[in-house]
Amino acid sequence: MSTIIPEDVVKIADDIKTMRIRGAGRIARAAALALKIAAEKYSGRKEVSDFIRYIDKIAKLLLSTRPTAVSLPNAVMYVTSRLKRAKPATLDEAISLIVRYSNEFIEYSKTATEKIGLIGSRRIQDGDVILTHCNSSAAVSVIVHAFKQGKNIRVYATETRPKFQGYITAKALLSEGIDVTLIPDSAVRYIMKKVDKVIVGADTVAANGAVVNKIGTSNIALAAKEARVRMFVAAETYKFSPATVIGELVEIEERSPLEIVDEKYLRENPNVRVRNPAFDVTPPEYIDTIITEEGLIPPQAAFLVLMEKFGWIIQDYFVKEFKLAREEYEEWY
Amino acid sequence: MVSPNVVSIVSKVIKDIKEWNIRSSSGVAEVALENLAEIVKLSNSVKDLVENVTYVANEIISSRPTSAMLINSFREVLLTLKHNLEENVDFKSNVSLILEKISYLLRKSREDTEKISIIGANRVVHGDIIITATYSKTIMKIFERAYAQGKKFEVYVAESRPGDDGKIIASKLSKMNIPITLIVDSAMRYFMKDATKAFLGAEAVAANGAVISKVGSSLLALAAHEARVRVFVASSTLKFSYETIFGELIKIPHAPERTIIDEETKRKIGEKLKVEIPLLDIIPPEYVDAIITEYGVIAPQAIPILMKQIYGKWPPEFPDIQTLINEVKKCLQ
Repeated sequence: MSTIIPEDVVKIADDIKTMRIRGAGRIARAAALALKIAAEKYSGRKEVSDFIRYIDKIAKLLLSTRPTAVSLPNAVMYVTSRLKRAKPATLDEAISLIVRYSNEFIEYSKTATEKIGLIGSRRIQDGDVILTHCNSSAAVSVIVHAFKQGKNIRVYATETRPKFQGYITAKALLSEGIDVTLIPDSAVRYIMKKVDKVIVGADTVAANGAVVNKIGTSNIALAAKEARVRMFVAAETYKFSPATVIGELVEIEERSPLEIVDEKYLRENPNVRVRNPAFDVTPPEYIDTIITEEGLIPPQAAFLVLMEKFGWIIQDYFVKEFKLAREEYEEWY
Repeated sequence: MVSPNVVSIVSKVIKDIKEWNIRSSSGVAEVALENLAEIVKLSNSVKDLVENVTYVANEIISSRPTSAMLINSFREVLLTLKHNLEENVDFKSNVSLILEKISYLLRKSREDTEKISIIGANRVVHGDIIITATYSKTIMKIFERAYAQGKKFEVYVAESRPGDDGKIIASKLSKMNIPITLIVDSAMRYFMKDATKAFLGAEAVAANGAVISKVGSSLLALAAHEARVRVFVASSTLKFSYETIFGELIKIPHAPERTIIDEETKRKIGEKLKVEIPLLDIIPPEYVDAIITEYGVIAPQAIPILMKQIYGKWPPEFPDIQTLINEVKKCLQ
C-alpha cells in the first residue's frame, strides 16, 4: 500500500535538489520542516508501523536530493532516529515526536550560527586583520559579532572563483560598516603576511578533523600555516559527518566547466579540458581550532563531537548496517 | 621637451603593460625595446635623442619597476649612449650604434628563449604531468619543443587571475595537441598531488635566488613544495636583478580594479568596497629546485657564481639605473 507524499514536502525536496534552497543550515532546516509537514499531513493507515515506513520513505526522498551535503542526513537522522528510539505506542504519539524533534532541530540549527558568532568573536582582538574565503554565515557571524563589540577590524575577502561567493561576504560585511578589501584567489599567499587570522566556514568536518570546504580553502590554510597565521574553521555540529567514522570518504563534487569558461570558449577550444572541483580537503594539522556552537575544539577531537552528538546514530545506522553487510558477505563465502 | 608623438607612443606602451595586455615578462621588455627603436629614429638632434631615451627609460621603468629585464636592457642602451656622448660620436653614428644595441638585445632575448627551451625540454620526461600558471613565452616554448620531441605529457594550468592568462595558455597548448586541463587558481593545491613537476616563468631573479613572478606563482610553488613536486623556473640571465645585490627591495606593482571587477558589480556590493590586486609576488629560493637559464640549469642560491662566470667578477660592475639616467643627462650640459 502506498501512501501519498504531501505536495509541500515534494516541493521542498525539489527546491533542495535544484539549489533554490542552498547553504548547509538552510538545507538542514528545510529537511526537518519537510519531515514535520509530512507527519502532520499523514493520511495513511492508523498504525505506528505504517507511519514509520512512511517516514522512512520521506527520509529517503529527502536524502536523495543532495547526496553530498552532510547537514541533510544529520537533520533527517536527528529526527527519525529519535522517533525509532522512543518506540511510540500510538500513532498520535509518533506524530507528535516527529513534530517535536523537527522543531527542536530547527531551533538548534538557528541558534547555532549565533552561538558560534559569540564564541568565535572572543578570539578576535582589536586591530586584527582577518582573511575569509567564500561565503559562510558562521564565519560572517564571528566577524560581525567581533565588530559589534567595538573591535576595530579589517577584512580581506577572496573573490572565490568560479562563482564569486566572495561578493556575498563583502556585501554582508560592508552593510555592517566593516572595512572590506576584495582580492583575487591567486593573491592569498601575498596577502597572508598582512593577515592576523583566517576564518572560514565548513561544508563537512570528517572524523579525523579534516575540513571539506569551498575549493581554495586548503590553499589558504597552507599559506596561513607557512606564515604562522591562525586558521579558524567555524562549523555547526551538524556539519560533522557520522559516515566518516566508519571510513566513508567524503565525495568531492565536480561542477560544470561553464562556471569557469563560457560556451564560446568551449566551442572554440574543444580540446581544452576544464576541471571544476567544488571543494577541497584541508588536513587537520593546518587548522588551529574548529569553532562550534558547543565551544572550541581542536580538529583532531572531531570524533568527540561526533560521539556526543551522533553517537547512537552512528551505532544504530552505520554500525548495524555495517554488521549486516558483513553478515551478508560471510554468508556468500 | 619630448614631442607629443613620443609621449603618445610611450603612454600606449605603459597602458598595455599596466593592463596586462602584454602577458609575458620578456614580452614587456621586447615591446619596450621595439618602441624605443622607433623613438630613437624619430629623434633629430643629440639633445633630442638624449631627452627621448632618458624620458622613455624613466617612464617605462617606473610603470614596471620589477622587470629586471626591462631595467637591464635600458641600462645597456644608456651605457651605449653615455659612451657615445663621452666619445663625441656624431649624431648619425650615435643613432645607428644605439639601434644596433637595441637589435642585439632583442636578438639575445629571442636566442635565450630558444636555448632555455632546449634545456627545459630535456627536463620533461614521458608521462609527466606539469602544472603551471601565468603566461610565459619561454615555458610555452619548452612545452612546444618537448612535444615535438615526441614526449607524451600533460599540462594543468591555473586560470591566473587577474588577466586570466590560463585561458590563453590552455587554448594555445590545445592547438599544439598537448593534453591540457584548465583549473581555477584555488584548485592548485587540490591538483598538486597529481602533478610530477611545476614550471614557472620569471619577472626577475633577486641576488639571493628569490624569484619574482606573476601573482599566484608563489602559491603554486608553496603547494608544490608541500607535495614534494619539483619547481623549475625559466629565466634568462637578462632577468637577474643587479639592484638587489645592493640591497634594493623589489616593489610590487598593483593592477587596476577593473582587471577583476567592473564598476556596476562593485556598486552593487557596496561603494566602500576596496580592491587590492598585487600583480606579482615573490617565490623564496627554498621553494625553487632549479632555475633554467641560457647557460644551463642552476640552483637559485648559485646565482652569484653564475654572475661571476659571465662578468668575470662579483659583484658585477653596473651603475644603478637611476644614477645612469642622471649621468647621461649631465653629459648634455
